[in-house]
Amino acid sequence: MTRSRRFLGVVGQHSVLIGLAVIFALPFFFMLLQSVTPIEEAKTSVLWPSSFDFGNYGEVFDRVPLARYIRNTLVVCALVVTGTIVSCVPVAYAFSHMRWRGRGVVFVLVLSTMMLPFQVLFVSQYEIFSNLGWLNTILPLVVPAFFANAFSIFLLRQFFLTLPSETIDAARADGASELQILTRIVVPMAKPGIMAVAIFQFLFAWSDFFGPNIYLSDEANLTLAVGLVRLNTAAARLGESNLTMAASVIFVMPLVVIFFFAQKVFIEGVTLTGTKG
Amino acid sequence: MTGTAARPAAPEGADDDVVGPSSSAVPVVPAERLRAKRRADRKRRLTVLLLLSPWIIGFLVFTLYPILNSFYWSFTVKRYGSPARWVGLANYELLFTNDELLTALGNTAYLAVFGMPVRIGIALLAAALLVRARRGNGVYRTMFYIPSIVPAVASGALFFFLLKEGGPLSGLFGLFGAEAPLWFRDPQWAKPALIMVTTWALGDLMLILLAGLVDIPRSLYEAAELDGAGRWAKFRHVTLPMISPVIFFIVLTGLVGVLQSFDQAYVFSQGVREGRLTGEPGGSLLTYAMLQLRLFQDGRIGFASAMAWVMFLITFIITMVMLATRRRWVHTATEEWA
Repeated sequence: MTRSRRFLGVVGQHSVLIGLAVIFALPFFFMLLQSVTPIEEAKTSVLWPSSFDFGNYGEVFDRVPLARYIRNTLVVCALVVTGTIVSCVPVAYAFSHMRWRGRGVVFVLVLSTMMLPFQVLFVSQYEIFSNLGWLNTILPLVVPAFFANAFSIFLLRQFFLTLPSETIDAARADGASELQILTRIVVPMAKPGIMAVAIFQFLFAWSDFFGPNIYLSDEANLTLAVGLVRLNTAAARLGESNLTMAASVIFVMPLVVIFFFAQKVFIEGVTLTGTKG
Repeated sequence: MTGTAARPAAPEGADDDVVGPSSSAVPVVPAERLRAKRRADRKRRLTVLLLLSPWIIGFLVFTLYPILNSFYWSFTVKRYGSPARWVGLANYELLFTNDELLTALGNTAYLAVFGMPVRIGIALLAAALLVRARRGNGVYRTMFYIPSIVPAVASGALFFFLLKEGGPLSGLFGLFGAEAPLWFRDPQWAKPALIMVTTWALGDLMLILLAGLVDIPRSLYEAAELDGAGRWAKFRHVTLPMISPVIFFIVLTGLVGVLQSFDQAYVFSQGVREGRLTGEPGGSLLTYAMLQLRLFQDGRIGFASAMAWVMFLITFIITMVMLATRRRWVHTATEEWA
């Protein structure tokens, strides 16, 4: 009696899970399907194309400077990741393995900047970058990354705190300078944590639309996110959603690949920020 | 670093004044050591300052200055590249006397009130089904999570395609003989469409809830079972109170986040009204979009600043009210939750 009831329960749970999984996967399925739908059929409302046209992927490179967008996006990502790591690691170290007066207060100040809505910042930031003559360059997107951000500082600090303080104290007692401790002990031991922050920043820079959209204007400077939206606008008018979907696949695929390689890091990072924030 | 203690302390004059009376009573060696310690302290303070310098500079230049600046601008009429002219509270008066802000706030509130329960409900359902270690759970978890790594503009473009007239979803509606609504033409439907996209990307919520559920001690459930609690009673009286701090956190960040939602609305509207900087699918203007609209399309920086500050205040008030009423929402045995 109870056994069969439990069995039914398990079956019920699995069917709900399968149902949810199908609903969550369906948009991806249609994205892939539409990306190989021939152009004539893309304009109609057929659900299943009569043949697969992989030429859409080539077509989208001809239609918009997609290779250029990819290159721009990768440059921005590389600089943002580098800047974030180089600037946040020392700050996070000072907040985790050094003791100084006012540390708690300053750390709260750092965290409170995370709560600030971006809108009170960008109205004025835009003029700063405009006065510097940085509009239509990637500088407004990458330079701030070299001046540390609260989210990465917080995440790195959480990772640094898990390192054994005995090792660090021992090095200090042996006369090692803080900089030596940071570069020779903390950084090598905290590699997984630094990797996690790098991945999150890459993801953020790759996906970001708001910044590139207000700062970049020339076709040749655009990132993938902005390029995709422009393509979507143009393609929607022509009914060429197959091209938008092909571009979307190219835009999203790298992230999915990264996710599969770094799944553990991802999940730890999300739970860490989510539960301790 | 090493050897500093051995150096004579003569050039340190300026720092010596504090030593005063106490040091005169103590032998020479401790005073020397004290000086060395103070020198080391100063060096350490400098090191800390050096390590913090990226954040300090960034905070001053990219956070503090812009905040103060936009606060000042909110009382002025200004365009980019030209000086600001003081107008007092005129921008704020204009904001609250025309309907636009109210419409935008109303639409934003709609997304919060109807969108969040749906998102949290489904995320909690998924997390609750996945909490017990079972074969295949990893696969489900991955499938539920992956949509949330899709960039907002890509999911916007994807749902724009899925929901368009003659798109796959209207095809599915057709299979059941129903007619699909015009999602992007009708403000009544544009908002549910936005909720749909954001719900698809609930992976982060699910992971956070899952982590919370895993932390609930099994013993609580066993105790409830001994008391004869059924599945619903266990959920209502064990799971929900224990998970309430996590839900509190999600609601708080969700409310703050929805005020800034922009990307998908922008994508949705672009396909319909080409060339215009909107973010307004069929009259369902959002606050953040309105801000950008006034800022870059009309160049009304003073007005946009005032609006940014109103949004900032709303965010602040929501946060404060939620934190102040936290005890009513959240089960109190888990006070270590910040």
